[in-house]
Amino acid sequence: MIIYVLCFVLFLVGLYGVLTKRDLIKIILSLSIMEYSANLFLILFAYKKDAVFAILSKGENPVMVDPLPQALVLTSIVIELGITAMLVALAIRLYQKYNTFDITKIRRLSG
Amino acid sequence: MQNKGMTVIVKTITRFTVWVIILYGIYIILHGHLTPGGGFAGGVIIALAFLNIMLAYGRDFTSDWLKINLLHDLEATSAILFLIIGILGVAISGSFLANFLSKGKLFRLVSAGTIPILNIVIGIKVCVGLFVVVWSLALFHITKGGTE
Repeated sequence: MIIYVLCFVLFLVGLYGVLTKRDLIKIILSLSIMEYSANLFLILFAYKKDAVFAILSKGENPVMVDPLPQALVLTSIVIELGITAMLVALAIRLYQKYNTFDITKIRRLSG
Repeated sequence: MQNKGMTVIVKTITRFTVWVIILYGIYIILHGHLTPGGGFAGGVIIALAFLNIMLAYGRDFTSDWLKINLLHDLEATSAILFLIIGILGVAISGSFLANFLSKGKLFRLVSAGTIPILNIVIGIKVCVGLFVVVWSLALFHITKGGTE
């Protein structure tokens, strides 16, 4: 149980970063931390004590963890990659336009 | 300045290590049906090797060496290859992506039907796609003194 709480604390760390930081790069990194905590949460659901990864090996086959969340998280990682690439591209465009990453200085909406 | 790459020390070390990284990526892809890893993980490793070249040698050398237009074609081709293998499953075995090759013996390198072929196709797709994303981000010209 305590491990799920710690995972939620990691999510809150990311949320704190998104809400309070002013630098665009730090906001993108905080979003990544939130995504990682969600992935970790899914993986922790599948965890069993003294179980091995879900791949057949020669000899005896002991208890295995559930492979379904791992496949799900692999897809989730790909989507995170796309999100991060798009956010970085937007941040670079904003830097070209305003010459700063500080979101309090990016105010002019038109032109 | 941005296109020149790094110092001669970094270039020399990169020349040796890149091939080791690419070989490891190919190993991960080919053993995708036996060990942890597979097409996605191996493709990411090979893409990082190409990224290493781009960081060490600069953009101009990389675009000459890798032929970026060819990479765009390769990415589209690998997606179509995946689709063709899936439709061959419909034609031969009755459902999408169904196995139509011999399964072979367990724990052999050449076994598991179409899964190694699909792993290779996914590896090419992920490798080229990831590298093209990073390449597109590197194409931005960042100059001091924006329009503001």
